Amino acid sequence: MGERIKNFTKRKEFGIILIILVLSAILTVMSSAFLKLDNILDFLRSNAVIGIMALGMLPVLISGGIDLSVSSTIAFAAVIIGKFMLAFPNSNPLIVIIVAMVAGGLVGLVNGLIITRFKIPPIVATLGMQTIMLGCVLLYTGGMWISGLPGWWSRFGTFKLGSFPTDIGGTTGVSTQVIIFVFACLITSFILKYTLIGRGIYAVGGSESSAIRVGYNVNKIIVFIYVFSGLMTGLAAATHVSIVGQVDPNTYTGYELDVISTVVLGGASTLGGVGTVFGTILGVVLMAIVKNGLILAKVPTYWQKVAMGLVILIAVSVDIINRKREQAKLVRVDVEE
Amino acid sequence: MKMKKLVGLGLAAMMAFTAVVPAMAEEAAYKIVVMPKLIGIPYFTATGEGAEKAGEELGVEVIYNGPTTADAAEQVKMLEDYITQGVDAICVAPNDAAALDPVLKKAHEAGILVLDWDTEATKDLVDASVHQISDQGLAEHLVDAMVENMGTEEGDWAIITGGLSASNLNAWIGFARDYAAEKYPGLNLVADPYPTDEKQDVALSTAKDILKAYPDVKALFCVSTPAPIGAAQAIREMGLQDKVTVVGTAVKEDCQDVLSDGALDLGCLWNCQDLGYLTVGVAKALLDGATLEADGEITIEGVGTYAIEGEKNIILGPPEDYLAE
Repeated sequence: MGERIKNFTKRKEFGIILIILVLSAILTVMSSAFLKLDNILDFLRSNAVIGIMALGMLPVLISGGIDLSVSSTIAFAAVIIGKFMLAFPNSNPLIVIIVAMVAGGLVGLVNGLIITRFKIPPIVATLGMQTIMLGCVLLYTGGMWISGLPGWWSRFGTFKLGSFPTDIGGTTGVSTQVIIFVFACLITSFILKYTLIGRGIYAVGGSESSAIRVGYNVNKIIVFIYVFSGLMTGLAAATHVSIVGQVDPNTYTGYELDVISTVVLGGASTLGGVGTVFGTILGVVLMAIVKNGLILAKVPTYWQKVAMGLVILIAVSVDIINRKREQAKLVRVDVEE
Repeated sequence: MKMKKLVGLGLAAMMAFTAVVPAMAEEAAYKIVVMPKLIGIPYFTATGEGAEKAGEELGVEVIYNGPTTADAAEQVKMLEDYITQGVDAICVAPNDAAALDPVLKKAHEAGILVLDWDTEATKDLVDASVHQISDQGLAEHLVDAMVENMGTEEGDWAIITGGLSASNLNAWIGFARDYAAEKYPGLNLVADPYPTDEKQDVALSTAKDILKAYPDVKALFCVSTPAPIGAAQAIREMGLQDKVTVVGTAVKEDCQDVLSDGALDLGCLWNCQDLGYLTVGVAKALLDGATLEADGEITIEGVGTYAIEGEKNIILGPPEDYLAE
């Protein structure tokens, strides 16, 4: 047992877990509303979108790539399903989700093909796609919102599984968005851990030439990664539209930075080779707690920004210090997740 | 109105499209450039529709074009091009008044009529200013509407804003706070304004968090158009329609759903189309030789008579209220 605890403290997620625990303890003392089931379910719901996109970004970062197009891809997929629902008011949520994922996946496929066929660096290829897709979306919508979505869609968006009483007299439950997020976590985790292509992603991120020598089809893996990122971004689009109930094509600008910083906060490296689903979930939870907790704790608005920056700095520093300590002890090259 | 900092091929292509298809009136008397802070957001799309409609009806050529991000440097570049091309009037909603000074001076020297609209440019450099509403008027109107819907002049309230650095939003908030403190001393503002990045889902989660932190809050005062809709959704999800009042600036079409069950008590905004129309109307009247009389009136073809506030401010008029039908 002692040995297991020792191993656990060595894991790279340990630092961020520690910060989450300390922060939660402080926030619980400062606000009685913080550590309540309805609050936890609420902040998981409002961060599910970034969370799902982060899961899509994770394999990209592990492979040593980056996907800047996600903010436009989500806008594109959201507009597609908005128009789709207006055109087919007798459809159902499952079909809408599939349409969103196909739309996102197609953008990812283009990304992947540009990167592998033309050997264009991912940062350039996806930046280009970001502006092209945003241009298309604005050209198509004129920036106007798409509203008047069917009633079954808002029922889907506000559905809650289970019924737990809350302090203010209502009830709460596990919302659709949280269920989708959990589902996305399981899928991503399965792919990364138990499939050949998942292991290949780590291999590519560790060293592309070694991955080729071992026999991985690197191009196939890279195309898969960007398609997967697109699929997840499409899923996130459906999730977002289910929360807000209408489509604002301009609302997604800047999402790529939130997503990437969340994944990096969760221990993934932009240099590739490292990153886990568990770490990414922790990154999402930390960001969620900070945003939610600072308001609940009545921290003055302007100080919230300062506090947010501090938490991110501390989290990343702890992680880096941990890693350095670890590296000082290790000699072998480590490709495990 | 936060937009991506990176502008690229797709957007450039889009700008080219919008630049190529201005309303080409037959034998247009004047060429009038109307430049918004940026294109591609609902607000400035609506003002553009109004401006182009005015172009058709008044028989002038309207070029409605602007940058794709709220970037003053980009506006300067585009204006330089229009000055070189030779136009009769430039109406601009500046992203940064000072940054536009040199180019507006240059326009003046070239004999071009210069107007600002939506947002003020440097006063000395414009021939007229077209304003949607007085900032103070809007803020006070919203506070009055909030108190009326609360049904009491006492209680806690909170402010939700689009962003902490948006100058127009800050102006409204400033007037609202001062007015509330003076006229309704029983109101207690619980905290500084909460920013929401101009995002509806952020407004939703922020509103929920505010109500958890301050369960006694009776009213949410929202500026920036997505904010009241997100806040109203939070009220709906918490089932507090009858306990918490939500008022704010919202686009008419977008707030109908949340108005329907009383989650949003009142949305209000000026008519965006009319603002674009009036801007073109004023430019044409001045080109036709009309003069502005301080504190007088001006009659604009197609829209009506407007009061002139001060030397050259033309005010569109009171905001439109959107209530549950």
